[in-house]
Amino acid sequence: MTSASADKLSDKIVVSGFRHFFETEDGPVQATGHIDLVIRGGEFVTLVGPSGCGKTTLLKALAGFIRPTEGTLTCDGKPIRGPGRERGVVFQELAILPWRTVRRNIGHGLEIARVPRAEREEKVARLIGLMGLAGFEDRYPHELSGGMRQRVAVARTWAADPDVILMDEPFAAVDAMTRLTLQEELGRLCAATQKTVFFITHSVDEAVFLGDRVLVMTRRPGTIKAVIDVPRRAAGGRDWESFTTDPEMQSIAERVLKLVRAERGASQAEESRAALEATA
Amino acid sequence: MSLASASGAPGRPVGLPSGWAVAARQLRAVKILFPFLVLIAIWWAIDAAGNFSDRVLVSPKRVFDTVIMLISHGVLAEYVSTSLKIIGIASFISIVVGVPIGFAVGANRYAARSLEGFLRFLQGVSGIAWLPLVIIWFGFTHTTTLAIVIYTLIVPIIFNTMVGARAIPEQYELALRSLGAGRLRLITDVYLPGALPSIVVGLRLGMGYGWRALIAAEMLVRQGGLGDLIFGARTSGQIDRIIGGMIVIGALYLLIDRLLVQPIENLTIARWGVLRK
Repeated sequence: MTSASADKLSDKIVVSGFRHFFETEDGPVQATGHIDLVIRGGEFVTLVGPSGCGKTTLLKALAGFIRPTEGTLTCDGKPIRGPGRERGVVFQELAILPWRTVRRNIGHGLEIARVPRAEREEKVARLIGLMGLAGFEDRYPHELSGGMRQRVAVARTWAADPDVILMDEPFAAVDAMTRLTLQEELGRLCAATQKTVFFITHSVDEAVFLGDRVLVMTRRPGTIKAVIDVPRRAAGGRDWESFTTDPEMQSIAERVLKLVRAERGASQAEESRAALEATA
Repeated sequence: MSLASASGAPGRPVGLPSGWAVAARQLRAVKILFPFLVLIAIWWAIDAAGNFSDRVLVSPKRVFDTVIMLISHGVLAEYVSTSLKIIGIASFISIVVGVPIGFAVGANRYAARSLEGFLRFLQGVSGIAWLPLVIIWFGFTHTTTLAIVIYTLIVPIIFNTMVGARAIPEQYELALRSLGAGRLRLITDVYLPGALPSIVVGLRLGMGYGWRALIAAEMLVRQGGLGDLIFGARTSGQIDRIIGGMIVIGALYLLIDRLLVQPIENLTIARWGVLRK
């Protein structure tokens, strides 16, 4: 936070030799394959992969919600042992508290950190402005649209000012038009705050549009199959109009799509084969 | 004034004069009172037609006079305060003890599963079924009544707290832990408000069961309270006291529910909207 340019060069998050198994009643099930990964400070890394490939497992391990079966995960060189304030999380949905108003949800992290009221209100007011929530400060979540609720969730995470932000398909549950707006707003917010972001999605366009680097995962047990660098446009901004008209962006998106489809195709073929065997 | 009301809030009928609003409120009051008026009318008609002895049935007017007499002599206040004190203490203890137990059980999946059947079993063995045993232990005392009422009240509170705690989405807790929340924070900011609507439901149910158990226990323990009032009146054949007491029992329960429990419910559930989709 003190010197963003210096932070940018350093390795913020390092995952080495990660592998995870879930305990089930029928014995352990492998959730991910062997994963090594480095995320540098200030970088926006997106991860795409077929559903069930272990994306969320990796994110949960980074958030400290689960302990990896194998491997080490570090943030700023310190091993991740549990959830921490330096690593904020934005969930897909249902994570802001229905009994708190917009204002009190956004300021929740600051309240926990015992930030003085005046400072808290100032920060909350700024985020309310940035996220287009003005006029809704005293509403409860059930009075808001799905898109606005996600804005509140994003604002709450940003307000707590973590170094790293982990996002698990945050816009998957909102309608397509709202999603485009939210993605652009997130792009602006990131450009303005220089956070390190790790963003999971199953949308190829979203991954390429937002990411400085796009990671493609294989089907379960997922490993990282390819890493694609996305040259960030000169303005530093992300907007859908220039994205869809930029041939370079489109060719990157096509490349990523091919990689993802190959995985999806493979897992579907396997599923239908398994289904056939089961019926036979 | 008519201009202000004519502008109307959205969702309300536009241009409703304030006189109508008053009339509408009165209509609501009539709707609530109507079934009571019908019952009193039937009672009055039966009494008038049947020419019963005072030891079998008395007129609504007689009961009304008796209740007024009991109030003015301070007798009713004595019995009512005994009953209210016990239900008050019992609800307080049941909340203070039952809510933490409910959370403890709800937090543990295995405990919740194994205790669910047990709690249902306890609900089946009503408080009154415990009376013989509790009278042997504590005698014909307020302690016995209190024990029966707490037993009746606490089971639905534990059960509903447990259900409420288990229905809180996991993300609420995870999100807050990522914001740096400790255990105490999670309790005050997530678990308590998250389970509150369910706890209130439990309290409401418990109050209903508890009030009935209280009256029944008082009839057998005979140490004051409304149950004692009506059961005592039976031995001296005072039908007016019995019916008057019954009316007070019903009216008090209605009052407790409307003035105490329902406002809490409205405050939480109505304000937070649909808690769980």
